[in-house]
Amino acid sequence: MLKVPYTTGYLSEHFADDEYATLAGYERRGGYRALKQVLAEVAPADVIELVKASGLQGRGGAGFSTGLKWSFMPKDGGKPKYLVCNADESEPGSFKDRILMERGPHQLLEGILIAAWATGAEKTFVYVRGEYREPADRVERAVAELYEKGYLGPKVMKKAFRHDVVVQRGAGAYICGEETGLLESLEGKKGQPRKKPPFPAQHGAFGMPTTVNNVETFCHVPHIVLRGAEWFRGIGTEKSPGSTIFGVSGQVQRPGLFELPLGTRLDEIVFEHAGGPLPGRKVKGVIPGGMSMPILPAHQLDVPMANEFLRERKTMLGTGGIMVMDDTTCMVRASCVISWFFRDESCGQCTQCREGTGWMHKIIERIERGAGQPDDLAILLDVAAKMEGQTICAFSDAAAWPVQGMLRHFREDFERHVALGHCPFGECFEL
Amino acid sequence: MPKISVDDRVLEVPEGMTILQALDAAGLLMNGVDVPHYCWHPKLSIDGSCRLCQVEIEGMPKLQIACNTLVQDGMVVRTTTERVTKAREGVMELLLVNHPLDCPICDQAGECKLQDYAYEYGALESRTREPRRALKKRVDLGPTIVFDQERCILCRRCVRFCREVPGTGELGVVNRGDRSVIETFPGTQLENDYSMNVADICPVGALTTKDFRFKIRVWFLEDVPGICTGCANGCNVHLGVANNRVYRYVPRRNDAVNQTWICDEGRLSYKEIEAGRLRAASVRGERGAVEVSVEAALAEAAARLRGVLESRGPGAVGVLASPHATNEDLAVLRRLADALGVETRGVAVPVGRADQLLIKAEKAANAEGARRLGFGPAAAVLDRVRQGAVLALLVLGHDALDSGDLASPAELAGLAALVVLDTHQSPLHLVAHVAVPTRVAAEKHGTLTNAAGLVQAVQPAVEPAFEAWSEAEALWRLGVLLGLEGFAGRFDPGAFAAAAS
Repeated sequence: MLKVPYTTGYLSEHFADDEYATLAGYERRGGYRALKQVLAEVAPADVIELVKASGLQGRGGAGFSTGLKWSFMPKDGGKPKYLVCNADESEPGSFKDRILMERGPHQLLEGILIAAWATGAEKTFVYVRGEYREPADRVERAVAELYEKGYLGPKVMKKAFRHDVVVQRGAGAYICGEETGLLESLEGKKGQPRKKPPFPAQHGAFGMPTTVNNVETFCHVPHIVLRGAEWFRGIGTEKSPGSTIFGVSGQVQRPGLFELPLGTRLDEIVFEHAGGPLPGRKVKGVIPGGMSMPILPAHQLDVPMANEFLRERKTMLGTGGIMVMDDTTCMVRASCVISWFFRDESCGQCTQCREGTGWMHKIIERIERGAGQPDDLAILLDVAAKMEGQTICAFSDAAAWPVQGMLRHFREDFERHVALGHCPFGECFEL
Repeated sequence: MPKISVDDRVLEVPEGMTILQALDAAGLLMNGVDVPHYCWHPKLSIDGSCRLCQVEIEGMPKLQIACNTLVQDGMVVRTTTERVTKAREGVMELLLVNHPLDCPICDQAGECKLQDYAYEYGALESRTREPRRALKKRVDLGPTIVFDQERCILCRRCVRFCREVPGTGELGVVNRGDRSVIETFPGTQLENDYSMNVADICPVGALTTKDFRFKIRVWFLEDVPGICTGCANGCNVHLGVANNRVYRYVPRRNDAVNQTWICDEGRLSYKEIEAGRLRAASVRGERGAVEVSVEAALAEAAARLRGVLESRGPGAVGVLASPHATNEDLAVLRRLADALGVETRGVAVPVGRADQLLIKAEKAANAEGARRLGFGPAAAVLDRVRQGAVLALLVLGHDALDSGDLASPAELAGLAALVVLDTHQSPLHLVAHVAVPTRVAAEKHGTLTNAAGLVQAVQPAVEPAFEAWSEAEALWRLGVLLGLEGFAGRFDPGAFAAAAS
């Protein structure tokens, strides 16, 4: 049984049902019909066109068009082509992929097989974060079922189409969720992002053309195949179609997972679905899409959860991991925790990120301890600006944005620390 | 070929190059077009991590790193805009956040890219209030290199070097973020034939050689271009000279010979410019060897040779060249042999270990030059000595002992005249009737022909602290003393300038 509060949509319709995680149970509920249909009557290029037409955007954080990404894969058969399912889910505040793997591993694998057909990939690596033992076990079990039934292997469903799936467990690093950091780790190397060019579609896993998609992204695909691009576009907003699974955590009454159309207002998610703040508390700020996304203050929660609207408020949908902080939260301390995380997780290749994450954390920690100087805030913003848009991967940006967001909306908290010479929110916890 | 413009300068660039590679190929990098860089090195794979080489490219919203951006026809690159300047300042400030302030006692001071770029592109004041990273200051990485973790800016050139050049891969980066440090893999040390190159490519004072560190401040050194004489590869070096001493060799880039590298053995061979030198001319009389002037020694040599020539003719005289001597030295030797009518000529070449990279089997810089000047295998000469056909031998160097052509100097004990001209001491000059000290390549003008046939020039970097002439000069004087045809007046190096061609 699913223990967290949740709402259902097409992705999570059967999540309460334990049998859905098995091949027989999945097929009884209509599973693998989309794959059979595609293998029987849809040419690979037409699958890509369908996904393009649906407007599906990657659900891993960057929101790039999935159909377009698939179309970057070379069409010739010179080298083996690979898919990678990014199941690292390392963004703090995100836990949707976990439930998608635990409750519906076959939905994921059906999406993977359709994508493999579309891109001509002969193998998929499912890279699962090391801490996700249960999800990895579930996917492994589902993969074994597929091999037994002939849905994976040299002849997928008796067609002249080979596909293999390998489940690879990560060893625990945020940066292995970045697609090229993941590829390095997959190859047994230290997880650090690759410089681009070359891009994975030309030179990906083990040097082969590779497409990397998030778990949830794959999960949408069977539904698009069965019900069509029009249906998909009918859900969500014009520019951000479909639903997504929002994970709400933090200081709310009912933290949980809520599948809702993109464009659902943030305040609706926080106050209705997640039950709002704890008794006697008020919401102070909400991180809308995983820890790397800039925070929004309480008075800005009337925003539809889709990038085109969130961008106007200088933040993004990210992974849809919503973190709620109430009025007992010291935003300097929260920033300190966030900046510590990014300092700890920076791979250390690029100068700006390696040195900038450390410098920002040291300044914020000093402010939290009460030794802040008035010009520290300007230095913080300047360091953050220097870290933005100049590095191999987006980690440096991801480390700079939350600090910028905190200073944009909660500057007062920082200024009070500096003016008072101590934290006005009581005892500091160990950092 | 694509055409690009860099700061309004138009370049034609081979397809497939990145901007930095194109500037390097055109000879413009840091020599007309300044794109500062740390992780990029012309002979290593592209890393793209220091982020200092960012440039502005028309049509691209973000700054791009010049090291990894492929040129495209019509690309317009700018390296001096305000955005570029600000980005450089940003990187420099961040690199200095944790860098220790120990420049006064740092061996790299004066040739440190962090100093240079901080001076050129850095901000004027420090804004950090945070304590700097405290790490290990003296890590013994192996027999040749000491590592200061605090000074390291993590450009990872050394890591890539070990993986890509010697292929030994001893180094890696341990930990993440601002805790990253370079380390050797457990149970290994940095130990390969080329290990000391990491000190050259380290842009800061993190990696220093045990041999050179704290010997002298580098600004006292004059860099004199020269050639390493350790083997037949002829690696190009700079001799670091002060107080009439050579303190080190560092590789000098020559893409046709040694790229930017030198082997450790060759690098340390600078020591032989001082060590073990033959420092005085001597003549062996009844009561042993007596030190004399070079002129007196050559007069004695002429007398000894004349004795054999007059009694037995030129067929009883042999000549052994040295593969360490320059082409000019050997050309004078050849002229001398020609004038004497001596046919018995050879050269002994010591051989040893070779590899696929730089190290050649022939352990002398000019063996190929000697062969091209007509000196064949030494064995033919020594066979005639052993047969008793040759009674007088004029020998340059003691290579026949090193090569094994001569098992012991005792094999030459029966000669009526043994004249040895040598740069270094050996058992050979101890048995010679006449021994004459000569100059090493670092002490004279001349050319050397490497294994591939490339002729390279040397020039005097230091003066010997004792009386020593070049072999060419000494042999010329010998020719004059013997009254030979073609030998008259003072030695004119210009007359032998084309020796190698």
